[in-house]
Amino acid sequence: MGKKVLEVKDLVTTFRIDKKEYEVLRGVSFDIEENETLCMVGESGCGKSVTTLSIMDLLPGNGRVVSGSIKLNGQELTTMSPRERNAVRGKQMGMIFQEPMTALNPLLTIGRQMTEELILHRNMSKKEAYDTAVGYLEKVGIANPADRMKQFPFQLSGGLRQRIMIAMVMAVKPSLLIADEPTTALDVTIQKQVLVLLNKLKKDVSTGVLFITHDLGVVAEIADRVVILYSGRKVEEGSIGAIFSKPLHPYTIGLMRAVPNVDEDSFDIQPIPGTFPNITEEIGGCRFHPRCPYATDRCRAEVPAELEVEPGHLVCCHKVAEEYGKEGHR
Amino acid sequence: MSGERKKLLELKKLKKYFPVRRGVNIKAVEDVTFSIYEGEKFGVVGESGCGKSTLGRVILQLYPQTSGACIYYGRTRDEMCPKYLAKEVARLPAYQKAAVDFYQKSVGVEKKADVLRGEIEALSALGSDKEVKKEAKLQKKLSELEFQARELRKDASRQLREGSRTVGSLILCKDLPKIQALFDQAQKATAAAASAMKKFREYEKQYEEGRVDGAPDSGLKAKMDAARAEADRLVETSRNYRLQAFRDYRGKDVLPITERTQDPAYQAKLDGNYETGINLGKLTGDEMRELRREMQMIFQDPAASLDPRQSVGKSIEEVFVINTDFPAEVRREKTMDLLEKVGLKREHYYSYPNALSGGQKQRVGIARAIALDTKFVVLDESVSALDVSVQAQILQLLNELSAEKHLTYFFITHDLGVVKHFCDRILVMYLGNACELADSKALFHTPLHPYTESLLASVPRLKVGQEHSTESVLEGDVPSAMTPPSGCPFHTRCARCMDICSREKPLMKEREPGHFVACHLYGKEKGAPRS
Repeated sequence: MGKKVLEVKDLVTTFRIDKKEYEVLRGVSFDIEENETLCMVGESGCGKSVTTLSIMDLLPGNGRVVSGSIKLNGQELTTMSPRERNAVRGKQMGMIFQEPMTALNPLLTIGRQMTEELILHRNMSKKEAYDTAVGYLEKVGIANPADRMKQFPFQLSGGLRQRIMIAMVMAVKPSLLIADEPTTALDVTIQKQVLVLLNKLKKDVSTGVLFITHDLGVVAEIADRVVILYSGRKVEEGSIGAIFSKPLHPYTIGLMRAVPNVDEDSFDIQPIPGTFPNITEEIGGCRFHPRCPYATDRCRAEVPAELEVEPGHLVCCHKVAEEYGKEGHR
Repeated sequence: MSGERKKLLELKKLKKYFPVRRGVNIKAVEDVTFSIYEGEKFGVVGESGCGKSTLGRVILQLYPQTSGACIYYGRTRDEMCPKYLAKEVARLPAYQKAAVDFYQKSVGVEKKADVLRGEIEALSALGSDKEVKKEAKLQKKLSELEFQARELRKDASRQLREGSRTVGSLILCKDLPKIQALFDQAQKATAAAASAMKKFREYEKQYEEGRVDGAPDSGLKAKMDAARAEADRLVETSRNYRLQAFRDYRGKDVLPITERTQDPAYQAKLDGNYETGINLGKLTGDEMRELRREMQMIFQDPAASLDPRQSVGKSIEEVFVINTDFPAEVRREKTMDLLEKVGLKREHYYSYPNALSGGQKQRVGIARAIALDTKFVVLDESVSALDVSVQAQILQLLNELSAEKHLTYFFITHDLGVVKHFCDRILVMYLGNACELADSKALFHTPLHPYTESLLASVPRLKVGQEHSTESVLEGDVPSAMTPPSGCPFHTRCARCMDICSREKPLMKEREPGHFVACHLYGKEKGAPRS
């Protein structure tokens, strides 16, 4: 067991829309160890991005964390003042966004942007910062880094920009790296390059990684553990092997079936019926029950509790609970 | 196998350049040649910037093509008579004459060359130093003349080829005016058929009005049938005129325009150029609009393609407003039917796009595309913006619709998992060039082009536990389409690059039945070793 980098417990985040508070996260708990990649999977609107924004304290004006705790290296974040939070953000946890062009400043050179944070967070001199930055650009596989330092973001391709984002975040050596769909905007060949790179760097810097994605293929490639979110709640959590070989929650199973698999010859498309609920929709009991083929009255009335089916494999489903008995651990 | 299927669309050396500044172009699509068959789900994959979207839009003539031809067989020239055809028919004698002129010139040049050859022979017999120098000079002149003659001949056959697009090998015949007359008659018949069709539409409108009011007029039905039959008859007449032209004149009184014209094989080749379909690039705007009833497009972002201030019903109805004369009630009725067909509810007629989820919006887009008598749909990344569970629903809907309405899809995507299971045949593109074209099974089992291989290798797999290979990771980025690499466009990133790759551009060749690939690895013989 490695050191726990991030511990999130019963996180509830709400958004105010038209003077009403809506819960977007309804009690999400998970933790990440050093050197571990946790993938958070779910469809758009399930709260994956809100989770990362809650951790980073970057929620938009109408959103706020209502309850729950977020601990980074044992430090409670939710009770910190904005100033203290600012000191943690960027230094102890870094974030990579989906669209690198919007995350980089178009008016400043790569070098300026990379050295700035090193000077700020690692108290380096300009010279040191420059050398470190060049070193990290080299590490992420960028040829002639000294030239790249002088260039502006628009002169680089999407894949290069994303590499630079990674280099930037990793150069500060954060203990937690949050990657929000970092490869979704990239082509498959470039995506592969970036994934390989992330895996390599994680080992070098020994950070914990929270990787957000909706692509199950990417999950299989990079994750150690997986959390599946549905409409603001965790429905299943487990090691990558457990989730892929033995998915238990009906939603996880449906998700796996809906993905066209490149390696299989026959595939009849089996979509999950219905549509993803809006956050403003009130659904009693299990949030998935209107789309679930096994829904019973109990599912409609009662929120299923978290059940540890096997060590490390958690499922929130009445049906699974019945099959495995109340106490779990069979 | 391919002989039995009916072609719907044929692309011949299609090119699309976007000008940047003088002399600099973005070569978005470069010499793409292939056919799409009726009822087929044709997939196009490639990285961003490979020209797949441009190709889709060029086919629909949303961008004018730079060169090449895009021929649509959904309607024959007997059913629809575009204006360019009449012009082409009128130009037939000009083509023939130009061909004759070019050939005569080339004969003249040949004669000069012969004289030269004689001189050279005489000189070489003498064989002194001075003569050798002179001989070399003459040799040079001779090869120039030979080149000129060759070019002139090429020009002559080019003229004939142009002409043969309209009349096949009849371009070689002496009685061109008579042939022209027959083709003109055929065109008149087609025009008459079009007006009969108009009458049919008018009756149809009246009939639909009656149907909505609850009192369908059976007399109108008969009139409709009569008009339709009349149109069919006229189309048939038109076809007969053309057939008659071929029957009466094919192979008769063939003019000795070039030395090849008497050769039956050459005549057959010219016949092969005869286009029964419609060359989309030559249509006028109005004619293309007419064809848009059959050729539609569904875009990636369903939200961006719907007007947020227009209700869903109105958005779909717009199609009928523009293209038909149906009265309001009929339009509403048809729209509601469509909504049900694509898996929405009739109530959605009154909702606005902001009230719909992404999948539902895409369904509206689909409803709009199939509203009229659609035959061909270009789907540009139509399911890429959707979540997996919804994506599967939309794919299922598209599958059902294609079976029911016999639609042909041109499916553009970057998701290899989706194309594999959705499409029948797949084209792989790289930097505006076609790399490989094969049945989806063959493409995934035995990819031939190195680019296809690395593309397949970089797809994230749904398998855990196996060591994910890092060897096949492609290095670097896609080069700029403004200055594409010489030779094979992929050679800068190819692991199996050879000398020839940077010099010569590989051509698309059929390696196995139905499996085309453009790669020097398979250059010399069929089934060359792959090591």
